[in-house]
Formats: sequence, structure tokens, C-alpha cells
Amino acid sequence: MNTNTSAYEQIENYLSGRLSASERIAFELAMDSDGGLAEEVSRQRLLDDSLRIYSSRTKLKNRMDVFHAEMEAVEMPATFKVDRYSLRVFWKKYLPTMAVAASVALITVLSTVLTINHLRSLDNRQTTYYRQLKREIDSFKRATSKAISSAASTRVAPEMRSARYSATGFMISPNGYIITNYHVVKDADSVYIESVQDSIYRYKVKVIHREPGADLALLKIEDRSFTPLRRLPFALSTKEADLAEPVYTLGYPGDDLVYNDGSISSHRGFDGDTSAYRISIPVNPGNSGGPLLDESGNLIGVISGKNTAAEGTAFAVKAKYLMRMIEEIAPDSLPAPVMLPRKNYVRELNRRDQIKKLQGVVFNVRVYKSGV
Amino acid sequence: MNKVAFHTEGELLSAIQRGDQQALGSLYKMYFPMVIHFITQNSGTEQEAKDIYQEAIIVLYEHTQEEHFELTCKVKTYIYSVCRRLWLKKLAQKSRFVGRIEDFESFIPFTRDDSEAEDKDEQFKTMKVAMDELGEPCRTILEDFFIHDFTMQQITDKMGYTNVDNAKNQKYKCLMRLKKIFFSQYRGS
Repeated sequence: MNTNTSAYEQIENYLSGRLSASERIAFELAMDSDGGLAEEVSRQRLLDDSLRIYSSRTKLKNRMDVFHAEMEAVEMPATFKVDRYSLRVFWKKYLPTMAVAASVALITVLSTVLTINHLRSLDNRQTTYYRQLKREIDSFKRATSKAISSAASTRVAPEMRSARYSATGFMISPNGYIITNYHVVKDADSVYIESVQDSIYRYKVKVIHREPGADLALLKIEDRSFTPLRRLPFALSTKEADLAEPVYTLGYPGDDLVYNDGSISSHRGFDGDTSAYRISIPVNPGNSGGPLLDESGNLIGVISGKNTAAEGTAFAVKAKYLMRMIEEIAPDSLPAPVMLPRKNYVRELNRRDQIKKLQGVVFNVRVYKSGV
Repeated sequence: MNKVAFHTEGELLSAIQRGDQQALGSLYKMYFPMVIHFITQNSGTEQEAKDIYQEAIIVLYEHTQEEHFELTCKVKTYIYSVCRRLWLKKLAQKSRFVGRIEDFESFIPFTRDDSEAEDKDEQFKTMKVAMDELGEPCRTILEDFFIHDFTMQQITDKMGYTNVDNAKNQKYKCLMRLKKIFFSQYRGS
């Protein structure tokens, strides 16, 4: 052990250069003669080297750990740091994918919305320029009943069911069939017709047939007190009217019968609709369902709407489509046959007399509907 | 914190060469974000990034300690290139390499004298293994002496030896044991 220690010390001293010149020469000579000693020296040298490398690297690493801790402490509390790095990595990695996905979603949503809007706009033409001419009277009535109930504040006024819409209709068959527009009775609970002309009466009517395509509806008077008429004064004419032909209509834009006249301005209705005429008659909400009559008192159409974007432009469904609708109804489904008026009894009369005859078969159609 | 103490890379490097701790610290903090980005983008973790980065800094530091030290590119490029090479090696070891490295910086193909560097790495790794296997109290004594630069007197006091000679004797025994382990590990011999 003692010899080993001294040998080790000698090697160490030799390697660290602490031997004097003479000692070193002696040691090197000993190495030359003793292979084991030389081997031992080189091993020791390698060990020293390795120790030096190990020590310097470990020292450096320890210092770097300190720097690292400093850096993290400055950047953010350690608990959050991990999240931030991984989040950043996550973003970097998936941002392109997510961007693509998001834009696909966006395009899909937008195109769906646009397509739906486009289709809806095709359907709802009245929301743009085409205006159906039923008159909404709800607000007026309700306001009135409110005023009454507040005036008589001591008792609660019974909730009056008031008409929701008002429009026009006319008789097409002497046994009590009435024609009006489909949009008037579209979601009606109950429909009544009123007349204040020859005599004041009010009949309950039933919707027999609806024709949304032509915007027509066939109603029938249900009331037992109704006595069928002998005949209708006008005739149904399916002949295509000529341009500039003078026409007139009767209707209930308000609570009273109103006469308006004008002429046929086009064979085509709104947006090229061949089933309707374009007419230049001033019409108002409530005129819907009114008869369109030519000079000799032939029924040539049914007022249905007007163009809100153009002045004095109204539309009327051609009588041909009214006739077609009635012909297409299965006779079995009707309570009584529809007898279309074939003979015109007002042909020879002037317009004032025509109207006197006609006003008895034009009614105010009142539509009731529950709910708001 | 971010005092601009070094205006050029040359100044920074010569300060590091002199052993300036502040210079080393600011260098360390400067390029870590770049490396963590590179590693985490190439299927590495934050811890792996730290290890690789510290290895690269060691390479740079040891390079500054060489006699004819000269850097032919920017420090950033140097560090990036070293990290890139080290990470490729690591990926190959883990066989996790997915075929393509996503690069974020320009880099230089590495032409360091590899045999010498590998010798050094081998010595370091073997020594680390040997130290780990050494066991207490030898490990503490040797680490205190070689790494923490304790004097024999300090070690005597710390470990509770009766005198310095006892401590020296213990250190000698420990060294002999380390030597034995070291050479049993070194180069697989």
C-alpha cells in the first residue's frame, strides 16, 4: 500500500510537472525499462484528462443550469412556461391545418346561407317588389278595442276576435261559390264575406280549394240563410285581352266598395309571369281578389298584387287560369257543381249601370286567424 | 437583465474565452429560443431541447478554449449547426427520425475534427458513468475536489475526518476505485 501510494504520487507528480529535472529524467528512464510503469503512466494520464474534461463540463453545465433558471424566472413562472411552449408549438404545428379547416367551414356556411337566401328570395317575391294586396287590419282593430277597454276601465272588456286581413272576393257561381286570392286565405282559421251594397249581410264561407300556383282560392258560402242567385251579371272570358284594352275593377281597399279603372299594359305579369296581366290600375291593399273586368263587363282576371318598385303597376291573374283551376277540381270533392257564368247580361249597359249590377256580387272577404 | 455589455460577437466571444460568466450567461439566454423552436418542431421535447442546447454550448465553449480559436460564421449559425447535428444523431439513436428535418436557420455542414471531439465525448461519458457507479462517500469527495474546487481542508471539515491526511488517504482510495471502474468501462475494455 505504501509503495503503491508513493508510486502513484510519483506518477502524479511526474504528470503535473512537479518533479525536478533530474527526478524526471530518472523517472523516464524507469519508464523505459519498466513497461508496466509506462502503461500505468498513460492510464493515469487518460484518467486525469477525463477527470479534467468531466470537471470542466460539469462545472459549465451547472452554470448553464443557473442561467436557464434565471431565464425561466424572467420569462414566466415555471408552471406556466411549459404550457406556453407547448401551446406555441401546437399553434405552429397546426395553424395551417386549422386555417384550412376554418376557411372550408366559413365557405360552407356562407355559401349555404347565400343559397338559402337566394332560394327564399325567388319564393318570396312579394318581399321585394311584388306586394300582395290583402289588407292587414289587425293593428287598427286591436288599438280600437284597447281604447274601449281603457275607457271602460271598471270592467274587463271581453277579448274580441278581430279580422286579421281584409280583401275582396266575387261570386263565380250563382249557388254561392266565391273567388279570391290564395294568399288571402292562406292560413285562415275562418273566413267571412260581407257586403254593404244592396243589403247588409255577412256570410260564413268555407275554403273549398286552394291553388297556390295561380294564387287563387275557391270559397263557398256555408250559411243556410243564403239563397242562391238566379244568375250572375257578368260572363267569364278566357280570351286573351289586348294591350291597351280599358279595364276596371271593384274592390274593398277600405270598408267600402271602390271602383278603379285603367288598361292592360302587358300580357305578362311580374317577372315575366305569363299567367298574369300587367295592368295600370291604382290598387291598394284590400284589392286582392277583386274581379278585373273589360269594357263590356266580361271577367278577364283577378287582381292579385302590385309592383312596389314601379308606379301604377298592378297584376291580375288571367281568367284562363281561373277557369283551368275550376275545371281541374274533381267534381266529387265539391258540395255542388260550379256553374261558370257564360252569358253577359251587362254587355249593352254603360259602365255606371254595369257597376250597379256588379256590385252585388263583389264582397269584402274578412279573414280571421287565431294567435298573434 | 439585458445589459448591452458586448457590442459585437467578437467581443462577446473573447469575453467568454476569458471566462466571463456574464458573457456566457447572455449568450446562453440569447439563442435558447431558437433551439427550443427547432427541437420541438422536429419531434423533440423541451427537456431534450435543453440538453441539446447545453451540449452545443459546451462544444462552443470548449472551442473558444482551443489555442487557435476562430469562428468562421456567426455564433447563431454555429450554435444552430451544432444543435442540428446533435439532434440528428439523437434522432438516429432513438430511430425516431421521420425522414426530413424542418429547418429554420441557415446552417453549415459540420467539419469539426470529429475524432478528437469524439475521444473527448467518450472520455466524458465514461467518466460520468464511473462517477455514477462510484457510490458514497467517494463521489461527494471527488466532486467536491474536482468540480466545486474544495481544498482538502474543506473536505476534511465537511466529511468529518480527524485530519487532512485521513481525507487525502480516503481520496486516494476513491481515485483508485474510480480508475478501476473507469478503465473497466472505457472503450468497452
